[in-house]
Amino acid sequence: MQTDPHILQAFDRDLEAIQAMIMKMGGLVEAAILDAAQALETRDEELAERVRLADKAIDALEEQINTEAARLLALRSPTASDLRTVLTVMKIAASLERCGDYAKNLAKRATVLAQMEPIGDTSGSIRRMAKTVELLLQDALDAYIKRDVELAQDVRARDREVDQLYNSLFRVFLTHMMEDPRNITACMHLHFIAKNIERMGDHATGVAEQVIYLVTGVLPEDPRPKADLTAFARMDEAND
Amino acid sequence: MTDISAQAPQFDWKSSGFTARLQARRRSELWLRGLGLGAIGLALLMLAIMLTSIVGSALGALRQTHVTISVPIPADQVDPADPFSANWRRIMQNYVASLYPEASAAELRELGGILSKGAQFMVREAVVEDPSLIGQTLTISVPVSDPFDQLAKGFIKRETPENERRVNDAQIAAFDVLDKAGLISQPINWGLLTNGDSRFPELAGLRGAAVGTFYLLLTCFVLSFPVGIAAAIYLEEFAPKNRLSDFIEVNINNLAAVPSVVFGLLALAVFLNWFGLPRGAPIVGGLTLALMSLPTIIIATRAALKAVPPSIREAALGIGASHQQVIFHHVLPLAMPGILTGTILAMAQAIGETAPLLLIGMNAFITSIPTSPLESATTLPTQIFIWADSPERGFVSRTSAGIVVLLVALVAMNGLAIYLRRKFERRW
Amino acid sequence: MEDLRLMERVADTTRTKITARGVQVYYGEKHALKDVDVDILDKTVTAFIGPSGCGKSTFLRCLNRMNDTVASARVSGTILLDGEDIYDRGVDPVQLRARVGMVFQKPNPFPKSIYENVAYGPRIHGLTRSKAELDAIVEASLRKAALWNEVKDRLADTGTGLSGGQQQRLCIARAVATHPEVLLMDEPCSALDPIATAQVEELIDELRAHFSVVIVTHSMQQAARVSQRTAFFHLGNLVEYGETGQVFTNPKDPRTESYITGRIG
Repeated sequence: MQTDPHILQAFDRDLEAIQAMIMKMGGLVEAAILDAAQALETRDEELAERVRLADKAIDALEEQINTEAARLLALRSPTASDLRTVLTVMKIAASLERCGDYAKNLAKRATVLAQMEPIGDTSGSIRRMAKTVELLLQDALDAYIKRDVELAQDVRARDREVDQLYNSLFRVFLTHMMEDPRNITACMHLHFIAKNIERMGDHATGVAEQVIYLVTGVLPEDPRPKADLTAFARMDEAND
Repeated sequence: MTDISAQAPQFDWKSSGFTARLQARRRSELWLRGLGLGAIGLALLMLAIMLTSIVGSALGALRQTHVTISVPIPADQVDPADPFSANWRRIMQNYVASLYPEASAAELRELGGILSKGAQFMVREAVVEDPSLIGQTLTISVPVSDPFDQLAKGFIKRETPENERRVNDAQIAAFDVLDKAGLISQPINWGLLTNGDSRFPELAGLRGAAVGTFYLLLTCFVLSFPVGIAAAIYLEEFAPKNRLSDFIEVNINNLAAVPSVVFGLLALAVFLNWFGLPRGAPIVGGLTLALMSLPTIIIATRAALKAVPPSIREAALGIGASHQQVIFHHVLPLAMPGILTGTILAMAQAIGETAPLLLIGMNAFITSIPTSPLESATTLPTQIFIWADSPERGFVSRTSAGIVVLLVALVAMNGLAIYLRRKFERRW
Repeated sequence: MEDLRLMERVADTTRTKITARGVQVYYGEKHALKDVDVDILDKTVTAFIGPSGCGKSTFLRCLNRMNDTVASARVSGTILLDGEDIYDRGVDPVQLRARVGMVFQKPNPFPKSIYENVAYGPRIHGLTRSKAELDAIVEASLRKAALWNEVKDRLADTGTGLSGGQQQRLCIARAVATHPEVLLMDEPCSALDPIATAQVEELIDELRAHFSVVIVTHSMQQAARVSQRTAFFHLGNLVEYGETGQVFTNPKDPRTESYITGRIG
C-alpha cells in the first residue's frame, strides 16, 4: 500500500474526502444499530421513530458517495491502490446502506413489538448481539481507515460469534413458539430482527474483505468461517 | 505544493513609482530603436555615397568619342593576297597628310594624334574582312585618342592655358572643324566590354579580364566544391570524435581567417616555383583561390549538414538505410541549399580577391583574350588595379566602370545564391 | 466463465519473439540500463513505461541496434530475435532494421511524395522486382496504416503536407512496408492531438495481428489502453513486467505503484 502523497494534491484531497464520507456513514449506521436495539429492549417507540428517520441521511450519504466516486473515476483515472480505494469505497457504501436498512427495519419491528408481550429476555440477547455486530462493523471500518489487514482478518473470524449468537436465539425462538402458539407473531418478528442482525454481521465481514482487497489487491479465497447452522436445523433439535 | 496566495503582497500598479519606471523603460526602448535605425541609416548613406561616386565616375566611360573618316585604300600599297602585312601606318599617315596639304610634318603628327593609335588596326581589320575595298575609299568610325575624348566630354577645359593642357589650340581648331562637319559622334562604348586591355584608354576593354575571371572561378569551383563537400561530409559524418579531428577542425576555422596574401605567397612558392605552372595563368589563380575558399565551403557545408533535422536521419536509419544512403538520399539533398549558398558566397569572395593574384603575376599587361586557363590573363580586380595605376585621364572613368562591372557580377552571383536556395529549399 | 472474459485484452500467443538477457547499456560513464531480462511475445503489444531517463527508450533502441549510431553507447548482454543474437557479428544492423521497424516520437516523413516515403524501404532493400509490385506494397502498407482512403488520390503530394496524425500514420506505413517482424514505437503519439492519438492507437491494435509491437509511452493511460503486456522501468532497472491489467490494478512492486498512481516522477 502507498502512503506517500500524490504529486497532484487535489487527488489526495478527493480520496480523503470520499473516505471521510464513508467514516461518517459508518458512524451513522453504528448509531442506528445501537439505538434500534435499545429501542427494542426499552420499548422506546420514540427512539425507534428517530432511527427510522435517520435512515434517510444514510441513504443520502450513500448516493453522494456514489456520485463522488463516479466523478473521481472520470476525472482522475485512478490506478492500482487508488483505483482499489474508489472501488472499495463504493462497495462499502453499499454494504453500509444495507446495514442502515436493516437497522431501520429493526426499529419498525421494535415499534410493533412494543405492543406485544415480551418473550423472555430475548430482547436483551438481541441487544447484546447488536452490540457485537456494531463492534464488528466498527473494527472493520477501523481496519479500513488504518489499512489493517490483521484487524480485518480478525473481524472475519469474529463473525462466527454473531452466527453462534443467532443460532442460539433461533433455538430459543423455536422453543417459545412450540411452547405457546400465541408467541408466534412476536417470535417471527424477533427472528427477523435476529436474522437481519446476523446479515449485518455478514456485511461487516464484507467490509473487512474489501479491506483485504484494498491492501493486497486480491479478495481472500479461503472460505469464510461460518457458524450459521440454522439452514440445517430441524424441529426435533430444538428440544435437545 | 506551496501556498502562494497567502504571502502575495498587494502592489499598486497605478502608483507614481510604477508609472515612472514604466516610462523609463519605454524611453530606453525608444533609444535602442533609434540607435539601430541610425546605424542602418548611416550604412545606407555610406553605400549610397559610394555607389553614386563610382557610378558617377563610371558614366564618363559609358560613351566613347568617335570620328568618321573616309580612308582611300590604295591598291598599289595593299596586296589583296595578304592585306594584313601592308604598311597601314603609312596609309593612315598619307590619309591625314591628304586632308591637310599645307601642314608641316610636325603639325601633321599633332593632327594625326586626334585619331586613336588603334585606328590603323581597325582600318586593317575592315580590309582584311572585305578585300574588295582595296582601291576604294573606306568610310569608318574610329575612336579619337584619349585627350580629344576628354576634350569632347569637357574634362579638358578650353579655358586652361595652352601650355597646361594636353591638346594645343591648333588641335582644338582641327577637332572643331571635324565636329562642325558632323564627323564627331559619341556612341555607347561597347569596346569597354569587347576589347582586351590596351595602353590607350580609348581602346582598353575588360573582355580579357572577364574571361580570365571566368576561367579562374571555373577552376576554383571545380576544385573547391567537390573537395569541400567531401571534407565536410567526412568531418561531420564519419570522423571519430578525437583530438585529431578537433585539431583539424580548429585549423580549418583558422584557415578561413588567414589573410589572402599569405595564400598568394604559398601559391608563388608551390604552384609557380615548385610545380612550374605558367605564371599569371587563371589555373594558378583558381588553385590559389580554391585553397582560400575551401575553409569557407567546408564550414558552410558542415553547418548545412548539421542543420538537417536528426529526425530525418533517424527515419532513414530506422528503415534500414545504410549510413551512405542516409547521407546521399536524405541529408545532402536537404543540405544543398545551404551548401550552394555558402559556395556561392565563397565564390563571390574569390571573384573580388586581388592580393594573392598580384603575387602570382596576374597583373601583367596582356592585350590578348585568353582562350584557355593555362594562358596568362588578368582578372577583373587585377585589371581595375592596373587601370587605377595608369596615368592617363581616360583610365579614371574606366577604373570606375570596371568596378561597376565587378559589382554587377557580384550582385548576379548573390542573386543566383538566393534563387538556388529558394528552388531547393524544402520545408518539413 | 472463460468466454465472458474480455478476450481482446488477452495476448493471443505465448510464443516469444524477442528474448533479452542481462542487457546492460552504458553511455560513456553513465550506466543507462542495468541487467534487463525480458521476453517479448509475438503478435502482442508490449508497453514500456517509466519516468524520463529511466532507460525505456534506450532499451527500445537496443532492439533494432539504433544505439549503434551513438558513438558513446556500449551494449552488453544478449538480445535474441527468434533465437538469433542480433548483436552477433554475422547480423547486419541495416538488414535488422528492416525486420525490426521503428516509428519515432515526432512524425518525420521524408520531404518527398507520399508514394516515395512508403516505397523507400522496399526500394533500398530491393524487395520488389517491378513497378507494379512496388505499387502493390505501397497500397498494402498504406491500407495497413489506415491511410489509403485519405491519400489514394494524392500519392504524389509531399508527405510533409499531411496533418500530424496522418504524418505519423504515413511513418507507420513506411515502417510496415519492409514487412517487419517487430515494430518499435518511441512515444508515437506525444506530438498528436487526442483524435489522431485514438486513430494511431486503434491502428496499433490492428497491427498486432501481423507482428509484435513494442511501444514506449509517457502516457500510462495509453499503455493501459493499447498494450497486453507492460514493463515498468525505473532508474535503468526493469522493475516490473507483467500483464497490463495486473500491472495497472495490482502492481507487485511499490515503485510501480508509486509511479502509476502519480506519486513519484
